[in-house]
Amino acid sequence: MASTVSSTNPLRDPRDRRLPRLPDASALVVFGATGDLSRKKLIPAVYDLANRGLLPPGFVLLGFARRDWSDEDFAVFAREAAEKGARTPFREEVWDRLAGSVRFLRGAFDDDAAFDRLASLLEELDKSHGIGGNAAFYLSIPPSAFPVVLKQMQRTGLASSPDAPGWRRVVIEKPFGHDLGSARELNALVDDVFTPSGVYRIDHYLGKETVQNLFALRFANTLFEPIWNSQFVDSVQITMAEDVGIGTRAGFYDETGAARDVLQNHLLQLLALTAMEEPVSFGAETIRTEKLKVLRAVSLPTDLDRYAVRGQYEQGWLAGERVRGYLDEESIPADSRTETFAAVRFGVETRRWAGVPFYLRTGKRLPRRVTEISIVFKKAPHLPFDETDTAELGNNQLVIRVQPDEGVTLKFGSKVPGSAMEVRDVAMDFLFGEAFTEALPEAYERLILDVLLGDATLFPNNAEVEESWRIIDPLEEHWATTTPHRYRAGTWGPAAADEMLAADGRRWRRP
Amino acid sequence: MTTLWDTSGSEVVKALSAERRAAGALAFGLALTLVVVVDEQNVAAAEGAATLASSAHPCRLLIVVRRQIDAPHPRLDAEVSIGGRLGPGEAVVMRMSGRLALHAESVVLPLLAPDAPVVTWWHDEPPTRIAYDPLGVFADRRVTDVALAPDPLAALYQRAADFAPGDTDLAWTRLSPWRTLLAAAFDAVSERPDTAVVTAGRANPSAQLFAGWLRNRLAVPVTIEEGSGRGTISAVTLRFGADRLAVTRTDSRSATISRSGFPDRVLPLAERGLGDLLAEELRRLDDDVVFAEALGTWSSLPNLASRSEHREHIWHDPMTAQAHGSSDVTVGAGASTGGSAVGSGSGAGETEAAGGGA
Repeated sequence: MASTVSSTNPLRDPRDRRLPRLPDASALVVFGATGDLSRKKLIPAVYDLANRGLLPPGFVLLGFARRDWSDEDFAVFAREAAEKGARTPFREEVWDRLAGSVRFLRGAFDDDAAFDRLASLLEELDKSHGIGGNAAFYLSIPPSAFPVVLKQMQRTGLASSPDAPGWRRVVIEKPFGHDLGSARELNALVDDVFTPSGVYRIDHYLGKETVQNLFALRFANTLFEPIWNSQFVDSVQITMAEDVGIGTRAGFYDETGAARDVLQNHLLQLLALTAMEEPVSFGAETIRTEKLKVLRAVSLPTDLDRYAVRGQYEQGWLAGERVRGYLDEESIPADSRTETFAAVRFGVETRRWAGVPFYLRTGKRLPRRVTEISIVFKKAPHLPFDETDTAELGNNQLVIRVQPDEGVTLKFGSKVPGSAMEVRDVAMDFLFGEAFTEALPEAYERLILDVLLGDATLFPNNAEVEESWRIIDPLEEHWATTTPHRYRAGTWGPAAADEMLAADGRRWRRP
Repeated sequence: MTTLWDTSGSEVVKALSAERRAAGALAFGLALTLVVVVDEQNVAAAEGAATLASSAHPCRLLIVVRRQIDAPHPRLDAEVSIGGRLGPGEAVVMRMSGRLALHAESVVLPLLAPDAPVVTWWHDEPPTRIAYDPLGVFADRRVTDVALAPDPLAALYQRAADFAPGDTDLAWTRLSPWRTLLAAAFDAVSERPDTAVVTAGRANPSAQLFAGWLRNRLAVPVTIEEGSGRGTISAVTLRFGADRLAVTRTDSRSATISRSGFPDRVLPLAERGLGDLLAEELRRLDDDVVFAEALGTWSSLPNLASRSEHREHIWHDPMTAQAHGSSDVTVGAGASTGGSAVGSGSGAGETEAAGGGA
């Protein structure tokens, strides 16, 4: 029996939606398999996929790390991680089956012999598990280690071997560089070692159900698209707030800051999805084309002092507990000028969005963890009521809540019951949890599955990454000489951020 | 929770809106209404399954228990609850006796969630013709379970004869995990098989549908071999000359995929409860063309998928039907035309089906 992958399996039918699409038999090779990301996200996601029956018959999880572990040690580690982190109930028999295809390879990234062993192990797995040469490499390692690992893969032919059958893909996590120059270097390196279409850049926000629902909301309905433009939209606010501090990432964070850490990737991606034109079809390339067009059209305000505000948290109270200020966090230099909050006004220079400001903000130690996109509509051009009747009427808003409580809120005016005519804002809530509570898959679950399936729809490509840096670099340049504003932990950021909107006659929505 | 004894349909509607107001902030994003038709003795099982399914797909749950059609006085008892023992959503259990049981739609119609799709599920012997039951006529999707019929194969044949797009049967739903594994195993194969064998009890309707599906997709002869198990499907084997590809159930939770020249693989194949099956049915509200084709191939009835999805209610009184003998059974005329057509099928089961239907 030949083992070629046939694209025309007669048992499959696009109309047959009871059968999930399973990836080809393949190996998922995790570099840095003993790290935090692997333990908290990747391994639990792999377990959840196995539990849902979405992994192919020949699947191998291969851990690569420096520790002196055997396959069994890694299996024990992975089991603990799955038990702790999995979304679906832990079932012994599911684990037993998965444990049978867990492998571990010890090695340092500069260890030639280890990579030779990896190459021969993959060949072995081809025989024992029939993976057909298919492998996805997940680089769960510091970016500084990328070049050496990639070169090793190139040397050993792991990355792509034109003669060998099967696909080779690589998954990389942010940060994708720290400015345009470094991003270009990294992209050139990765795209050179793998093919550009084999590179999957994870932005886990794009794996969230609501973000994908943005496509459905905009392009499957007639209700929203006609008003999705500057004629009806007053402004757009995109917020990603975290209540946590910098945790154990002090060293990394102090070099990076909120703008590079969040604004450059997550927020600009959300902006692109909100502002993009309709793609000609729902495919990876067509969607990327439209996103890239928007990113190219993003403009910065001329008055950066006013419209690009950054902040740094001071000590304060959050959720009933006293928390330290940024400068008092461990391993942060006392004179650090790194921002933990950034709020910027962007424009999108297209016919659809001319004159509509896009306010983006992100911060740490804000009152609660929330990510949302809020479309604020213009006020009705004429109100046939007395002024006092509509004193409490605000702008109509459509809010897409990315997390938590994924869903959509529509805010509009409604008459207060009673004899007087009084119009006030009410909110109509759509919670995914209500209409479709098929327990929502974790972002990583979805994204790992997409990598194995070869579906790049939810992954930004190199051009998008470079374009995002083109937007962020002038901000960083402007901020290089300034000191961030202070804000107390547990508040919604520095006063300058509020003043920025007040100057435009607007105010931030409290998420 | 509100319990209403010897009540009327309008009282039930009022009680439901009162419960909705009392639930306050819990405004529900209703995606559909699920109507469950069930016999008194199966109520507990149906309630359990519907509760589980409705927690995955929040819906308004309307459980209709028909009993004692021959009772002298029509009577309606109802229980209305939101976020109670029947899951997080809105639920109404209605017990109807006397002639009211034949007019259940008069109580159910005003309770349907506005403009949301309706799914009717019979956790009971399926009706001979769905058009006889008004609760099936207004539904967008109709879910039966021929396994509950005294003669499942005759019932399955009757489903084919009476088929309209939007009908599905849990015998098909039970097959999804098997089809998933076989399709996944087949992904890596480029040859067409010569024959296929399903190992299961001959009277197992899922095995018959499996055979129908495989014949439809692969155009190869499919036989059903009696297995050792409890009549459930225990294996499926495709033969390619001397080679074979088999999926074999190893225990209640997993199966082995074995393929000539490759090591065996163990994969999950869980036996699913009624609630999980129902949840799968509620996931898609459009008609299942693949089921129609599999059922059509099995029954040798042509063009099931292109039939009209619209049904007119046919007045059917089981009490007069009893008095006049079972003339109704042959109304599903497929049984008589099907008898000869089915003979061309490959499995012995089809012949049984025709025998039972005629």
